[in-house]
Amino acid sequence: MRNLELVMGWLPSLIFASRITISLSVISVVIGMLAGVFIALGRISANGALRKACGIYIFIFRGTPLLMQLFFVWYALPLAIPWLAMQDRFLAACIAFSINSAAYQAEIIRAAIQSIDPGQMEAARSLGLTYGQAMRLVIIPQSIKRLIPPVGNEFIMVLKDTSLVSTIALVDLMKHTSQIQSSAATALVYLPSACLYLIFTAVFTFLFNYLEKRHSVYE
Amino acid sequence: MALIEIENISKSFGALNVLKDISLSVEQGEVVCIIGPSGAGKSTFLRSLNHLETISDGRIYIDGKLLDDRKDGVNRSPLTKKEESDILLEMEIVFQRFNLFPHMTTLENVMLAPVHVRKQPKEAARAAAVDLIEKVGLSDKLDVFPSKLSGGQQQRVAIARALAMNPKIMLFDEPTSALDPELVGEVLAVIKKLASEGMTMLVVTHEIGFARDVADKVVFMYDGIILEEGAPAELFAKPKHERTKAFLQAVL
Ligand SMILES: Nc1ncnc2c1ncn2[C@@H]1O[C@H](COP(=O)(O)OP(=O)(O)OP(=O)(O)O)[C@@H](O)[C@H]1O
Ligand SMILES: [Mg+2]
Repeated sequence: MRNLELVMGWLPSLIFASRITISLSVISVVIGMLAGVFIALGRISANGALRKACGIYIFIFRGTPLLMQLFFVWYALPLAIPWLAMQDRFLAACIAFSINSAAYQAEIIRAAIQSIDPGQMEAARSLGLTYGQAMRLVIIPQSIKRLIPPVGNEFIMVLKDTSLVSTIALVDLMKHTSQIQSSAATALVYLPSACLYLIFTAVFTFLFNYLEKRHSVYE
Repeated sequence: MALIEIENISKSFGALNVLKDISLSVEQGEVVCIIGPSGAGKSTFLRSLNHLETISDGRIYIDGKLLDDRKDGVNRSPLTKKEESDILLEMEIVFQRFNLFPHMTTLENVMLAPVHVRKQPKEAARAAAVDLIEKVGLSDKLDVFPSKLSGGQQQRVAIARALAMNPKIMLFDEPTSALDPELVGEVLAVIKKLASEGMTMLVVTHEIGFARDVADKVVFMYDGIILEEGAPAELFAKPKHERTKAFLQAVL
């Protein structure tokens, strides 16, 4: 009984701290997707230099730890270039997470585009559409349905990875959980906190499944 | 000059020479059927005309305009990209596997290029598309997605989509080979109708009966060359080459 009271007492502030977790995830995945589209298009373009540059970007940001990228943006960058120092931890986290997610999503998007039958591009080009029009009107709309499940996955990964921001003293759900744990000296706080993470992942999984269904109308 | 003049074109994939110094001319309104065994280079030949493949040597004139001029892989044509794509718009291709856009309805498939390439107003493009879809006998399928159409219906939509660009030349690459036998007739009927209206066409086909009825000229390709060409009555009745004879015996 006393435990339940404790949990109910923590819940409002845990939920409040979750706003950072959720908004950071949504912002990073959205920006990562927009940037990812361009990186993916660069990755498959006819321009060799562009292809290479995008390949290097993906190699670097998928190949190094996200925590390192976060530290780099928040701690290291201001040491190297002082005027890049950020006042806002949330902004720094958004930048690091977006850059990282863009690399992952670029690969997701590239794979989805390349999974479309090459005959589609041939038909579009033969009709006189430019490469850009063919991508925009024919190829990308068809790849969206194939993008939804892996992007949903990426979203869940990012949502959990946002717990890393506790290391730059940004008070997200994880950071607040550990604050309560040390001040109240109890393990109990992990219960509501874990439940909140599970609820968030469940809600977003449901949302992505719904989107996928809505996009199957023409099949 | 003929509507299509093809002079000494060659094409290879790596070490494999697929087209070897081919020449052919096609007059305005002529229907040319291309036959030949698998791997002869028939598809590559058609695809070279509309730049889905790039030839390494030779010249192609369309309607008197020099579209390609290549020597040892080097492009010697003075055309700008815009001039090139304008000439390419005179030709449309219909594929063996239809390649309709699956996320668009019949009407949207047919309207897409007129709206985005020809910059026609939507209403005019729609009216023209409705007419063309009627012409291929699918007026009841305007708002249906390709997945809900039979193969024969899909191929007829693909033909309407190509015609919507008002081409002077239609290329067909085995338009009925992916169809169940009972659906072949409806597609051939549409192509025949185009022939009777005077459309210039190059048709790669295994339908010898169709070639006999419709073709003005039959071209037999073998191993990257045109081994023999002539009027269908002549070529089918008295093939000059052993290879042609053997091929015709096998398909007839
Ligand atoms: N993109 C490609 N890369 C490499 N080789 C190719 C390519 N396309 C075609 N070929 C080869 O070129 C040769 C001619 O192919 P093509 O498709 O033009 O033949 P075809 O006469 O159309 O045959 P089919 O009746 O089977 O369609 C074949 O040996 C084929 O394997
Ligand atoms: Mg072929």
